[in-house]
Amino acid sequence: MDELEFRQRVYSNPHDLDKDVLEAANNNPAYQNILKELQELDTKVGSLLNNVAVPAELAEKLLAIPDQTIAEAVAPGEVTPMASSKQNFFQYYAMAACLLLAVGVTFSLIYNGRPGDGGPTANELAFADEILAHLYVDVEEIDALNSGTFIDAVVTLSVVNEVMANAGTQLRNSNAMQALAIRSAKPCEILAAFQSAHLLVQGNMGAVSVIVINNSPVSAEYKIGDGRFTGVVVPMSEGNMILVGEINENLDLYKNLFADNVEWII
Amino acid sequence: MSDIPVIHGNSKRERYESLVAALYKDVYRYGLWLCRNQPLAEDLVQETFLRAWRSLDSLQSDKAAKAWLFTILRRENARLYERYRPELVDIEGQAIAESGDNEPDSKMDRELLHNAINRLESDYREPLLLQVIGGFSGKEIAEILELNSNTVMTRLFRARRKLKEEFNLNPDETGD
Repeated sequence: MDELEFRQRVYSNPHDLDKDVLEAANNNPAYQNILKELQELDTKVGSLLNNVAVPAELAEKLLAIPDQTIAEAVAPGEVTPMASSKQNFFQYYAMAACLLLAVGVTFSLIYNGRPGDGGPTANELAFADEILAHLYVDVEEIDALNSGTFIDAVVTLSVVNEVMANAGTQLRNSNAMQALAIRSAKPCEILAAFQSAHLLVQGNMGAVSVIVINNSPVSAEYKIGDGRFTGVVVPMSEGNMILVGEINENLDLYKNLFADNVEWII
Repeated sequence: MSDIPVIHGNSKRERYESLVAALYKDVYRYGLWLCRNQPLAEDLVQETFLRAWRSLDSLQSDKAAKAWLFTILRRENARLYERYRPELVDIEGQAIAESGDNEPDSKMDRELLHNAINRLESDYREPLLLQVIGGFSGKEIAEILELNSNTVMTRLFRARRKLKEEFNLNPDETGD
């Protein structure tokens, strides 16, 4: 076996026990050294990759899966009662109201309608107006978060879900949600007849608003925005989810994350 | 060929529990090195075993169990990555701490090797993880990654060559 082939074989698998590889190594001290070095390297690699500790409770969680799926099948839609929290999560902000902001802010609405149609309907246009207006009611809180004022404030998932329940939703208790920095959560009123919840999440360009509202789902996803904000309205099974961030924020990440983790309980 | 897990039991529940006991640690380690984020690795493993539980009846052979789980996890990771790119958390500290060997030279070696592995392109790192953590043969890796065997062997070759170069173990002419 020539050296090139030998190297290719043992680099691909230093524990290649094929007869011809072993024979080549036995007959050539240089090959033996190559093999020995690679086996030593592989021992170190194996030790590094395989000696990472596994979380102690993981096995228990996995073994509980059959019971959880059976329980879900028996009582779909039930939500485990949340522990009541008396935290004053309004400490940093006031309840939002549906008002048009009249402080000299003018904005133009940018719509990316669906291909092949005339764009959002009149109702959807009006809904977009309400959403942006609502953002400007909360703009001081958004600016404060962007400036780092509340950089350490993280609202727990249980508190978030108390607020979300007002809008008929819950967030799944997944590790992805646990890892997300939710800076505030509050009920809000974008449309008078419908409950909604407004979360502020730490984004890359600043605060990202995630609003869920249990009004009629819009017919298709559409974008909204103005000179400062960019947003998207996403229809869901029982309502709508709206995400709005600073103009250069990539909202797809948050859209997909929340789409996977928002559950409707109404 | 990877070790065949011993999966006991006649009932679905027994088979599932046996599967967890035999394979969950390797599945977790693979997930952790793949996504390099501990909470997400746990999520991936739980999602993997949830899917496994649901379609356990379709697992015809215990021999295929490990590759099946690794494949599910890999696809879930890809799906998660497309949707949400988590911050990569350095698992170096955890990996080194677990060795139990805190001699300065050993620790430095592990740091060097850890960094070298993390610097590997995913095309090279993935087959290596499957071979070293999963114990899969070249053919099994090819099936999991949906590549041909020659491509897998070439990538393994290149992965080790890069590691050897970075780890500075007598760099040599290896050819391609």
